[in-house]
Amino acid sequence: MGILDAIQTGLAELFSHKLRSMLTMLGVIFGVAAVIAMVSIGEGARQEMLQQIKSMGIDIVQVRRVMITGELMETAQKKSPYGLKYSDAEGISSVCTYARRIVPVREIFADIKRGDKPLPVQVVGTTPDYSSILKLQLQSGRFLNEGDLKERSCVCVLGSNARKQLFGFEDPTGRTVKVGMRLLRVVGVLEYKEKSESRAFSSLRDVNSDIYMPLSIAMTDYMIQSQQQMPMTYRGVRDLFMKMITRTSLDKSPISEIIVQLKDESATEATAEVIRSILNRAHRDVPDFEIVVPSLLLRQSQQAQRIFNIVMAAIAGISLLVGGIGIMNIMLATVSQRTREIGVRRCIGATRWDIVRQFMLEAMVITCLGGLIGVLLGVVGARVISVFAGWITVVSVRAIILSFGVSALVGIVFGLYPATRAAMVDPIDALRQG
Amino acid sequence: MAIIEVIDLKKNYRMGGSEVPVLKGLSFSVAEGEFVSIMGPSGSGKSTLMNIIGCLDRPSSGKYLLDGLDTGKMSDTARAHVRNLKIGFVFQSFNLLPKMSALKNVVLPQMYAGHRKDYRHGKECLQSVGLAHRIGHTPMQLSGGEQQRVAIARSLINEPPIIFGDEPTGNLDTSTGAEIMEIFTRLNREGKTVIIVTHEPEIARYTHRILRFRDGLLESDEPVV
Repeated sequence: MGILDAIQTGLAELFSHKLRSMLTMLGVIFGVAAVIAMVSIGEGARQEMLQQIKSMGIDIVQVRRVMITGELMETAQKKSPYGLKYSDAEGISSVCTYARRIVPVREIFADIKRGDKPLPVQVVGTTPDYSSILKLQLQSGRFLNEGDLKERSCVCVLGSNARKQLFGFEDPTGRTVKVGMRLLRVVGVLEYKEKSESRAFSSLRDVNSDIYMPLSIAMTDYMIQSQQQMPMTYRGVRDLFMKMITRTSLDKSPISEIIVQLKDESATEATAEVIRSILNRAHRDVPDFEIVVPSLLLRQSQQAQRIFNIVMAAIAGISLLVGGIGIMNIMLATVSQRTREIGVRRCIGATRWDIVRQFMLEAMVITCLGGLIGVLLGVVGARVISVFAGWITVVSVRAIILSFGVSALVGIVFGLYPATRAAMVDPIDALRQG
Repeated sequence: MAIIEVIDLKKNYRMGGSEVPVLKGLSFSVAEGEFVSIMGPSGSGKSTLMNIIGCLDRPSSGKYLLDGLDTGKMSDTARAHVRNLKIGFVFQSFNLLPKMSALKNVVLPQMYAGHRKDYRHGKECLQSVGLAHRIGHTPMQLSGGEQQRVAIARSLINEPPIIFGDEPTGNLDTSTGAEIMEIFTRLNREGKTVIIVTHEPEIARYTHRILRFRDGLLESDEPVV
């Protein structure tokens, strides 16, 4: 009996019991669909994360200000009253002489209004190198330059959303934006950056809504943006007041973030350790900063992906196992129902192997068809999820091939026992029956 | 030359703990081109004998040579090939596969013969039994006589030298039974060795030689006059 004949027989058998076949296939269909959909979501999340990490640059080390709250606050106020400060950036640059760029960032507190309406924009004081690290593209004009920094020029560069918020569709070049007490002249506008790219990993700032100004003005003339609660003690309030009225020297001025870009991306983790020890000494072991190493995150995310994959494989395995048992159950019922047919086939010359092959192929037809429907359902499911939940899903060809292959394998494994049962049917008994 | 040769054939069945003898030492032979009927009351062992000469069962002792080959020594697969190529089976209850058309039922043995299905030959076989106009019908749509014709066509598809009929007219009325026996007679005239198991003397009268069995032994072996 040719394989094509056997497949044809299997299909005919399948279509003569449509409801039963459908119910039999359901286990495999849902198993495969779930695998495809979940792998697509996982793959989408992974690629999005990779893109974020990579857009942040795997050759950088990021140091961020951390607010100290609760019990540690008192000691923190005493030992390291300014938190992350400008001198930390200088300290890092004096030790990490091999760094390509070191950029301090100060997110400042300033209400930007258009008319009376406050706008959801963030003002950021930084240095010219910032744009090269974040790979910002200019739409028009220029970014901040060294001259602005030195001469404390009252200029700013707008992110594309900030421009839209402030000026609508008018050309903002040469016009001014009121930031706090000062009027800043717009010298450049940035190109729109895709959200997933613009968002630096795990920090929620959106480059498109930023307004950039020279760090030198930001440090002297504006308060740092801070989520710190008002201190509730007398000393706390007094210290805060003192800080406000005394003009602190420039190097003690608090900053939000220091971005260190290296020439060699393999040195990021070692550099992170160096920076940690510098800052620990400078801050007298107060944990008011955190260090983010995108390349490390990348590695960790790959590790997490491996675990996710193992869990996925286990879920897929279980659902396909259950589906397979269902198929075996139905196949066993089929064998006893078709004993007479088996007897006839054996009588007119089918060998045991012919019978085994026929029933195996019938089981495989069920699982492969189930797998195929499952793949379609999974792909559609992934699409639906990405449309309605807004997640990025990536249907991987590897997952499709793998789950289809596994469903064929399920057919072989769970069809084997019913098929051997069928082959063991004694033709004499079978023909005497019914 | 003897196409079927049975030498001191014995068959025991295990019933509970004891062995029950069903065939107690049979010897006979059938020459090529003979038309033989096997008769006997139920319990005489004729079904058992039929199963053995149809290569569905093995003897407990003795020898059964089919076309000179000792079938007792054959593997299960080899016996399947013998059933497929040397013997055409026709049953009392037709035993067609209910979901397939007449034509597909007819060409089924070809699939197990290891070559491609030859639908033209299948149609020829159906034509030779007078059913050329019903090739697309399923067994459910055919009368008993027509079903038996399909079964005969199926038994002919691989052109075996021997045709076995196990009570082939048992489920048919007299006139339809007669038509079926006419087909067997014609096949015999065309050179096939035909063996019919029956308990009806009128059916046995179509054949040329009657073997009567009783209690597992050959009672008589005489030509039809």
